[in-house]
Amino acid sequence: MAGVRRHTEPPDTRSTGDEGLLAIRAAEGDEDAFAVLVQRHAPSLIRLATRLLGSRTEAEDAVQDAFISAWRRLPEFQGTSSFGTWTYRIVTNRCLNILRARKPVAPLETAGQVPAPEHAVSPARITEARDAVRELREALDLLSAEQRACWVLRELDGRPYDFIADAVGISQEAVRARVFRARRCLTQALGAWR
Amino acid sequence: MTAHTDPPNTPTDATEDERLPCGRLLSEVWTAWEDQADDPHLHECPHCGAAVHDLDQLQSAMSGLREESWDGAAPDAASLTRRVMDVVRLELRPGRPLPLGEPDEDLWVMEAVAARKLRAAAETVPGVRAGSCRLRPSPEQGEGGVEVRMEIHAPSGVALAALADDVRAQVGHAADRDLGMPVASVDIRVTDLIDSSADGQEGRD
Repeated sequence: MAGVRRHTEPPDTRSTGDEGLLAIRAAEGDEDAFAVLVQRHAPSLIRLATRLLGSRTEAEDAVQDAFISAWRRLPEFQGTSSFGTWTYRIVTNRCLNILRARKPVAPLETAGQVPAPEHAVSPARITEARDAVRELREALDLLSAEQRACWVLRELDGRPYDFIADAVGISQEAVRARVFRARRCLTQALGAWR
Repeated sequence: MTAHTDPPNTPTDATEDERLPCGRLLSEVWTAWEDQADDPHLHECPHCGAAVHDLDQLQSAMSGLREESWDGAAPDAASLTRRVMDVVRLELRPGRPLPLGEPDEDLWVMEAVAARKLRAAAETVPGVRAGSCRLRPSPEQGEGGVEVRMEIHAPSGVALAALADDVRAQVGHAADRDLGMPVASVDIRVTDLIDSSADGQEGRD
């Protein structure tokens, strides 16, 4: 049962020294260095934002905005964390704000009828497992923005609790409490629809 | 199948913790599962078993969601980068203007532009990677010239004084030949030593 714990790629183990140099150059106004960093980090950040927001289109917009914000803030970037971790935090917080701004979702009873937005699967391919995935995706909308963010970073993105605490800017205990509440809500939602 | 969701005292909030009939808190059971704690009770207790089963169901749906959110087209990093850079180029930070040529010539180059040239010149010395490069007009009036302060990563196992001389020469040469910028001094700081076996040359300009 417990073999499912997995941790995906760390923010950026790849050529950390090179990464630091590029960030310094970008902070000093070298836009070519910044372009290399954007190109390098865009895929993983789009993946993160897609998981947080449930929509690829919204995710790409969020990541684009986050990078532009990063460019403006680079002169203050102290390099205490890596560029990858820093932008991960910016994207997470931008997505949190987008989630908070979303309209309150439908109550549990009707949530099952909401059509899947942009991941629609052809009916022939729908299996029980697919149903569970669809139900889960819909159930995610029942979570608060904070619960959703903590759960996604923990489960979909495979991050340790201390990393999430740092990215979201809350204590580890608060992260654990939110992940618990999210799991509680999601297990109940999945159970209720069966 | 989800026996434990029907507890003696129904929680008011669906996301609150819950005491299972065996006395364990749901949060404790799930934490033990997550930490892969070796607790015989968890294997024997039907209530804990049901709680873990629910979480397993969630985890397996979650695995499906993880794969699914990625089975579409790979993210188009190139077009996103292009869109980001379109905005960035409207908001460049070129730094201060620096004098070129003779003192009475009204000719200037922006710091970021000159720094890019000088970093590239420093990196013509084998194994050298350039980071920060700050330029400022020499405070000594009349004589002019620009003070260069550059941070580099140097290859390990190389005599640093000689290496710094090489870098200084390349930087001075590029300033003179490519920019026509009089240089008063080139201050080199080695901020890291790079093991040449782990040669990371990607991302070069």
